[in-house]
Amino acid sequence: MSDTRLLNESERQVSSETEGAALDLAARLPNLIVAAKEIASSVMLGVHGRRVAGIGETFWQFRPFVPGESTAGIDWRRSARDDRIYIREREWEGAHTIWIWIDRSPSMAFVSKLALQSKLDRALVLGLAAADLLVHGGERVGLMGLTRPMASRGIIHKFAEALVAEERSAGFSPAELPVSATLPPRTQAILISDFLSEPADIAEKINVLSARGARGHLVMIADPVEETFPFAGHTEFLDVDSSERLRVGQAESFRNIYVSRLAAHRDAIATAARRRGWSVLPHRTDRTGSEALLTLRMRLEADLGQFRVAG
Amino acid sequence: MFGLPLAFTIPAVLIAFAGLPVLYYLLRVTPPRPRRVHFPPLRLILDLRPHQETPAHTPWWLLLLRLAIAAAIILAMAGPIFNPLPAGENRGGPLLLVIDDGWPAAPTWDVRIAAATQRIAAAGRQGQAVAVVATSDAGREIIASDATHALEHLRAVKPLPYVPDRLALLAPIASFVAAQPKSTLVWIADGIERGHARDFAEKLARLVPGAEIATANQALRALAGPKNDADGLIVRVLRSSTASPAQGIVRALDIKGLSLGEARFDFAGQAAKNEAEAQAKFTLPTDLRNDVARLEILDEHSAGAVSLLDGRWKRRRVGLVSGATADLQLPLLAPNYYLAKALAPFSDIRQARPGTPDPIAALLDEHVNVLVLADIGNLSQNDHDLIKQFVENGGLLLRFAGTRLAAADPDDLVPVRLRRGGRVLGGALSWETPKRLAPFDQQSPFAGLKVPEEVTVRRQVLAEPDADLPGKTWAHLVDGTPLVTASQDGKGMIVLFHVTADTTWSNLPLSGLFVDMLRKIVSLSGETAKTAEGQGQSQKAETVPPTRILDGFGVLGAPPATAKPVPVTFTGVGTAEHPPGFYGPPDEMLAINAMRPDDNLRAADYSGLSFKSEPLREATPVDLRPPLLAIAFVLFMLDALASLWLGGGLRRRMKHAAAALAVVGLLFGLPSGSLRADPKPDHPISQNDLQSALNTRLAYVISGDPSVDEESKNGLTSLSQVLAQRTALIPGDPVGVDPARDELAFYPMLYWPIVAARPQPSAAAIAKIAAYMKQGGTIIFDTRDALSQHQDGPPTPEGQWLRDLLRGVDVPELEPIPSDHVVTKTFYLLDGFVGRYQIGQTWIEALPPPNPADGARPARAGDGVSPIIITSNDLAAGWASDTDGESLYPLVPGGARQHELALRGGINLVMYTLTGNYKTDQVHVRDLLERLAH
Repeated sequence: MSDTRLLNESERQVSSETEGAALDLAARLPNLIVAAKEIASSVMLGVHGRRVAGIGETFWQFRPFVPGESTAGIDWRRSARDDRIYIREREWEGAHTIWIWIDRSPSMAFVSKLALQSKLDRALVLGLAAADLLVHGGERVGLMGLTRPMASRGIIHKFAEALVAEERSAGFSPAELPVSATLPPRTQAILISDFLSEPADIAEKINVLSARGARGHLVMIADPVEETFPFAGHTEFLDVDSSERLRVGQAESFRNIYVSRLAAHRDAIATAARRRGWSVLPHRTDRTGSEALLTLRMRLEADLGQFRVAG
Repeated sequence: MFGLPLAFTIPAVLIAFAGLPVLYYLLRVTPPRPRRVHFPPLRLILDLRPHQETPAHTPWWLLLLRLAIAAAIILAMAGPIFNPLPAGENRGGPLLLVIDDGWPAAPTWDVRIAAATQRIAAAGRQGQAVAVVATSDAGREIIASDATHALEHLRAVKPLPYVPDRLALLAPIASFVAAQPKSTLVWIADGIERGHARDFAEKLARLVPGAEIATANQALRALAGPKNDADGLIVRVLRSSTASPAQGIVRALDIKGLSLGEARFDFAGQAAKNEAEAQAKFTLPTDLRNDVARLEILDEHSAGAVSLLDGRWKRRRVGLVSGATADLQLPLLAPNYYLAKALAPFSDIRQARPGTPDPIAALLDEHVNVLVLADIGNLSQNDHDLIKQFVENGGLLLRFAGTRLAAADPDDLVPVRLRRGGRVLGGALSWETPKRLAPFDQQSPFAGLKVPEEVTVRRQVLAEPDADLPGKTWAHLVDGTPLVTASQDGKGMIVLFHVTADTTWSNLPLSGLFVDMLRKIVSLSGETAKTAEGQGQSQKAETVPPTRILDGFGVLGAPPATAKPVPVTFTGVGTAEHPPGFYGPPDEMLAINAMRPDDNLRAADYSGLSFKSEPLREATPVDLRPPLLAIAFVLFMLDALASLWLGGGLRRRMKHAAAALAVVGLLFGLPSGSLRADPKPDHPISQNDLQSALNTRLAYVISGDPSVDEESKNGLTSLSQVLAQRTALIPGDPVGVDPARDELAFYPMLYWPIVAARPQPSAAAIAKIAAYMKQGGTIIFDTRDALSQHQDGPPTPEGQWLRDLLRGVDVPELEPIPSDHVVTKTFYLLDGFVGRYQIGQTWIEALPPPNPADGARPARAGDGVSPIIITSNDLAAGWASDTDGESLYPLVPGGARQHELALRGGINLVMYTLTGNYKTDQVHVRDLLERLAH
C-alpha cells in the first residue's frame, strides 16, 4: 500500500506569508525555478543543437535599392563596393506565441510515496521549463490569463512573480480548467493539468481555445498511485475538490474497475484533443521531468515547423 | 493451582472467562477504523458507492491482543496470589502448631516464624482457633486461642541454646487432642534427631493422624570438640546433611569478641573424615590460641555453631628439669619421658637443651607457667632464689620425689616438711604390700577423677605429720599417707608428688590418672591464687554461677533466671538448667557447650510415617493484581497504537509522537543527567588564575603599603626580564596576590616583603600559606631590616611580625645558607644573596648534616625545595632596574656590581624553586662524563 497525502494549504500555495517560511515562495519557488532551468538546458542541448545558429537577426539577402524606399534599410558597406545601392534584407522571423496554462487546483496538490514530486510541483516545473525553452528558441510565451506573451530572458522569474501575485490576490481560487478565451490563430497552447474534470468540459474547453485554429498540447500529469490504484483493505477515499467520500470494505476489488474507468476517461480526453488536432502527453510524476519536456519540445518543434511552412 | 503456587482471592470472577467467546465474536465483527486516503481521481469511481460495503474482519492478531487484554483484566479482578499462604487443612477443630525451639532451629528461625505466622494468619482467616506450643513448653497445658493471641505467643518464642526433649511434649499434646479431636497439627521441625525426633514423630503420627511436618531445607552445621593440640587449635565441624555448602570458615574470637583468626573447613576436602564431618584448624601462636574463648562458624547463627573455650583449653608452657644428666642415657625410662608424654596433649613442653649450664634459669627465662622438677634434690642458691621468685610471682612448681630428693637437705620449696629417707612398701625388707590410692576428697582439685584399682605405690617420701598436713593433701593412699601435697606460696603454688615421675616407685605414671592429675595441676597454673582462696572456702568451689550464657542464636548474654549454678566438675552439654555459656568468675570461667566433643549431628528420619511433609518456604505471597493490570495497560496501549496504525493515522502523528517521546526521554534523562553533571566550582576561575596556570610567573604578596608593593612589582618585573634574557625560563608578568583570597598553587615562588605596620593575615590565610608551603611552594620572606638589625638585640618590628605570622605554621629547622647549599649553585656560583643591602643573613631550611661518606661534595641539598627562605636584604629593591638596566633604588653600599649580584641571587632563587636538587647531581656531571669516557 502506498502512502498518499495532500499538500497542505501552505505547501499548495506557491507562496504564503503566514505559513512556515520553508514553504513560501522565497523558499520553494527558487527550487522549482532551478529545476525548470536545469531541465530546459538539458533539453536545449539535446535537441536544439547547432541547427539554429543564432537567435533572430539572420541575414537573408541583399537586393537593389528601389527609389522611394526608406533609406534606413541601405547597407552602406555593401553599397560602397560598386555603384549600386543595396538594401539588406533579413529573414522574416515572425515569432510564434505560445500560451501556457498550469493547473493549480486542489487535485494537483497530491503526492504519493511513489512519486518524485507532487503533481503541482511537477506541473510548475514543466510549465516554467517549457517557457524558458521556448523563449530561448525565439518564441514569445505567455501565461494564459495572467501575462501577455513575452520573449524575455527572465521569463521563468516573470512567470513565477505573476503566479505568486495571482495567488496572493484576494479571493483567488485555482480553477480546474483555463478561462474560456479563443486563442488567435497560429498560437499554441500548452495545458498542464491532471485533467480529472469531466471529459465533456475538457472537450468544450479545447473547442473554445482552438476555435480560431490554435493548436495545443495537453500534458496530463498523473501520480503513479492514480494509475496503479495500490490500495487494499478497509479504506475510506476522500475527494479533494469536494467533500465526497467513498468507504469501501476491500479496496483491492476496485482496482480493475478503476483502471478501466481511468483508461476510458483518458480515451475520451484524447479523442476530444485529436479532434482539434491537439496532442496529449501523459506524464507520471515518478518519471523525470526532462523526459516529458523533451517530448513536449519535439511536438512543439513539429507544430512550429508546420506554422513556418504554412507561413 | 495447575501445580503452581497460585491462588485466587475471588475465584468466582474467573467465570467471566466464559464471556470471552462473546467478546471474540463482537470484536470480530467490529472492524477497526478504515484507512483514510485522499484520492483525487475519486470521482471516476464515486458512483460505485453501494457496491461491496461489507467491511473486512478485524485482523486476527488485533483480536488476540484484545482478548488478551480482557483476559488479563479478568485475571486481575480474580485477585491472583502467587505463593499463597498455605491454608492448611481445616478439619473443624483448632490448629495446633508445634515449633521446635532448640538451637538447631536458630539458623532458619526467621523462616520458621514467617511460616508459622502464615499458618496462623491463614487459620485466622478461616476462623480457626490456634494453639502454639514450643517443644520446650512441655510442662504447660496447651490452650487454643484466636489467631491474634497465638501470634503474640509465637513472637514470644525464641530459640533456646539447648535441645529440649520432645517426648515430654507428648502428654500435653495427647490431652489437647483428646479434648479437641478434630484438631489439625503442624509441626515445624528442625530436622535434627537430637531430642528424640524420631520417637516423637512416631508417637505423634499415632496420636494425630494426618499431621503435617514442615522442615527447612537448609542443612545445619555445628562445632564440637575443640582441641588445643601442640600444632594448632582443632575443632570438628559437623553438618546434618550434604545439602549445606561444603566449605566454610570458622572464626576464633577472644573473650572480648575480637577476632583472632579464621580457619577454613571443607567437607569435601582431605581433612574431612566423612561427608558429615570436617575439621577446622587454627595454626596460631600458642599465646594467641590461649586467648581464644569462642569459636564460631561464620554465618551460622546458632548455639551449636559456637564452641566456648575456657581455661581447660589453654596450653600451658611447662618446663621440665630432670635430676641428673645420667638419666638421658636411658631416655625411655627417664622421668622426663613420662612427664613429656603425659603433658604433651594439653601443654607446651620446654626442656633445656642438653648441656645447658643452668637449665632452671634457662627455662624460667622462657616464661614457663609450670616448672616441673623431677627428683631434684639440692638447688643452687641462685636457682633457689629464682624458683622462689617464680613461685611468688604466680608460677606453679611441680616437684616429684625420688632418691635425690629423699636424700637432700630439706629446703623450703616443698609444700610440707619431709622426713628423710621415706618408706618402702612391698619391698624385700617390708612386710607391707604396695598401697593403692584412696578416692580423692571433695576439696581436692582431683575430685571427680576415678581412681583405678591397679595403681599402686611401692615407695614414697613421707611428710611430717604437721597440723596443716590434711589441708595441704590433695591425694593420699588408702592408709592416709599423703601422695600429693600442695601449698600456696606467694601468688604461686608448690605441688609435690611424693613418688617419682618414672615407674621406679609406683606405676602411677603409667596410668591415665597421671595424665588427668597433671592436667588438673597444669590448669591451675596462673590462677593459683584464686584456687587457693576457693580451696580455703571449699563450699564455694563446688558450684559456679552462670556469668554469660549463650542464647539460641549463639550470642552471649546475661544469664536467664532459670540458669542454675553448675558444679566445677561439670563436663556435660548444656541443658535447660545449665544452658551453654560461661560460668564462674571472669578469670576462672567454666565453659559449657551445646555439643559434646564426640557428638554427631544426625538428621531426623521421618520416613515410613504418615506425615504430610512440606518444606518451609521463605517466599512471601505476591499479589499478582498490579502486574496483571500493568500488562493489561501496556497491551491496551499497544492496541491503541495498532488501531492508529490500521486507521493510517500513525504516520501522520509520527512526528508528534517522536516529539512526545523525545520529551518523555528528556524528562527521564534529565534527573540522571543533572545528577551526573560535574559539580560546578563555587566561584568562576578568575582571569588572573587562568593566566598564572598557563604561564609560569613570579608572584609577590600584596602588603598593603603602596610603595612597598610597587617596589616588589618593579623588582620582580626586572628579575623576570633578566630571567627571560639569561635563562630558558620566560616568565609572565609578575602578579601581586593576596594569600587570603587568591589561589597560590600556580606560583612556584612567592616573594613576601614584610611591613610591620600591616595587620596580620587571618587564620584562614595562614592555614593557606602553611598548605602552600607543605605542597611544595616556596615563600621568600623579606624583612628588609638588615640595617636596623642588631646581633643579640631585640627583634626588629618586622622580625617580630614574621615570628607572629609563623607561629601557626609548621616551619622546618632553619640555618643560614651554607656555602655548599645547592641554592648557591643553581645558576650562578654565589657566596650570598644580596639585595638593597648585603649585610643581612639569609636563612633556609636546614640541610641534613654532611655525610662523611660522600666525601667533599661541592653541593648539598635536601630531598625537596626549602619551603621557606628568610632574608633581610630587601631583595626586590636590589632587583629593580630602570629602562637602562641601572638600579632603580639606591643600594647600600651601592654600585652596579651589587645590582648585578642581586639579580644573580634572584635568578638562583628562582632556579632553585624550579629545579630543586637537580644541580646537586649536575655538579658531578664532569666526573661522570670522564668515567663514561673510560
